[in-house]
Amino acid sequence: MSAPEIVFDEVSKFYGEVLGVNRVSLRIPPGITSLVGPNGSGKTTLMNLMTGLVHPDRGSITVRGLSPRDPERLMRLTGYATQYDAAPRGATGFDFVATSLLLWGYEPREARQRAAEALERVGLTEAGHRKVAAYSKGMRQRVRLAQAVAHDPEVLVLDEPLNGLDPVVRAETIALFRDFAARGRHVLLSSHVLQEVDVISDQVVLIANGMVVAEGRIRNVRDEIEEHPSQFLIRCSGASRVASLLFERDHVSEIKVVDDRQGLLVMTRDRNEFAAALNAIALAGHTIESVLPADENVDALYEYLIGAQR
Amino acid sequence: MTLNFRSRQIWTIARLELRRVFFSRRSFWVYGLALFPLLIFVMQTIAVEYQKRTLSAVNTISPALMDSVREGERVEAVLERLGKPSRDREYSFRRRERDGEEEVRIHNRQLHYWDGQRRANLIFQEGVLQNIHIRQLVSIDLQRLMYNGVFHYYYLKLAIFFGCLGIFMNLFRGEMLDKTLHFWLLAPARRDVLLAGKYLAGLLAASVIFGTGAALTYGAMLWPVESAEVRTFFAGPALEQMLRYSAAALLACLGYGSVFLAAGLLVRNPIIPAVVLLMWESANGFLPAVLQKLSVLHYVQSLCPMPAPVEEGTPALVRMFLAPAPATSWPLAVLGLCSLTAAILYLAAQAVKRLEINYGGD
Repeated sequence: MSAPEIVFDEVSKFYGEVLGVNRVSLRIPPGITSLVGPNGSGKTTLMNLMTGLVHPDRGSITVRGLSPRDPERLMRLTGYATQYDAAPRGATGFDFVATSLLLWGYEPREARQRAAEALERVGLTEAGHRKVAAYSKGMRQRVRLAQAVAHDPEVLVLDEPLNGLDPVVRAETIALFRDFAARGRHVLLSSHVLQEVDVISDQVVLIANGMVVAEGRIRNVRDEIEEHPSQFLIRCSGASRVASLLFERDHVSEIKVVDDRQGLLVMTRDRNEFAAALNAIALAGHTIESVLPADENVDALYEYLIGAQR
Repeated sequence: MTLNFRSRQIWTIARLELRRVFFSRRSFWVYGLALFPLLIFVMQTIAVEYQKRTLSAVNTISPALMDSVREGERVEAVLERLGKPSRDREYSFRRRERDGEEEVRIHNRQLHYWDGQRRANLIFQEGVLQNIHIRQLVSIDLQRLMYNGVFHYYYLKLAIFFGCLGIFMNLFRGEMLDKTLHFWLLAPARRDVLLAGKYLAGLLAASVIFGTGAALTYGAMLWPVESAEVRTFFAGPALEQMLRYSAAALLACLGYGSVFLAAGLLVRNPIIPAVVLLMWESANGFLPAVLQKLSVLHYVQSLCPMPAPVEEGTPALVRMFLAPAPATSWPLAVLGLCSLTAAILYLAAQAVKRLEINYGGD
């Protein structure tokens, strides 16, 4: 049985003199994984490498135990919605999806049925018989997604899949990813919509200049960034008093009182000590309504890890 | 995966690709190349019919009367015996007999007669018949010679060559330009299966386009010829000749197709391989025997029913380029070309395995 992981082992790829990715080692478990990084950081290269559209100059890749150099077996379990906008000339959305299913070996009747189902999943049933060339950007995005999911793959690779989608379709698309992930499959996506990545991802891979700068669950990644204190937003009554009590602690480096004076933004270098201090303050009779991490999101990680390199 | 499954994949790829090859805007000029000689022969037929009508409208004489005319006869005698000519043209010119002497005015007259098959052009000088030109307006032998020339110099060396360049180079390079190649590379098919499917599509399209073009042109070539003559021809070598021309066209597509498919995978600019191959093929006639076998034209010409015609008086250098290589027997020609094609396709299969998508950056 194949290993249910996507593994990059010391993978490097150069386009002539230009670096694509450099010595990337990753083990991606099933679930939703987001590749995050600025333009040209190597996200698409990683996706192209794992689907065999480009080949590594060094290192090796396996996708659930299969090599990208074996498209016959790999693509049977992989669906890739690329960023490339073009569809075969003159093809309707339905043709585009049904045609690719013929290549998967489905009989024409089953291919048509699956194509119709896939288009329905992405809300393109009515537009399915219009030419792809006449589609809006969002519709093209969806038809590529339909093509990628039509054969019910184990690994779904999606390059900027939320670009150009309206809020309703975006929510439906995210639900589709979650459905895939819930069934033990891989969903690997790249995105610039950081808030959404934050909400939908089980884990993130942060890339800059062709190198992986951090990977894992967002909170775990956050914990590893020692030079940046953790930020917490505390909603409480008597904010000034709570602030003065917290300031007595060595691990607290900065406190800001929020505008409505009903809360504090606290920066601490030790999460455990901070939790203990809050407990003590609460036991002393102060009302702490809520405590929320303010920087356990991709935006903050992006800023901490990549901001300096942008 | 079984061989049967891969064969079905090849056929599926070919079927999908055929639509694109036949109806792509990039392919339309290929139809023009294939059908241009047909247009020429149709125009010839129209011209021949027009001439026949014009000549018959005035007078049609018997063949015996036409053959009875002799040089030295007076114009009046000819007119009296043969009757009104289809065309009568008089003109004069001046000629200086000897240096210093006065110019002499020479009176010429041309009479055209028509016997339903042949046209006689009788040229009289000062009323005396000087030259007799009798020729058939159209004959099957002349038409066959013309077709043979068109097939060798137009179809093989130009139309099929450049047509295959257009069709087969586009199979991969065109998709790279359209940014649609990933569609194929993301299919669960081996790269060599993809190559085979695309090659099959190109071959079918090129064979249909040029096979049909050559066959229709063959038909059009016979159109102006008298039906009795055509019937006799079809009772004899016509079908075999047509088959051999078609086989030559098909094998030319097979060979050039493989070369241009491989070139489309290896180089970006189609002009370079086209020029190199054109020079190589043109120089084939005077290459050493071993190198001659590395040419598509070498095998294909051997399949044609007649060698490429070279007119008397053609300059030696041009003759060297036009003269075909010594013919090979047809089984050897077919085997040789198939082996050459297989070798080129093997190289192409190695190249397609290394092929990467690079539409212009990450």
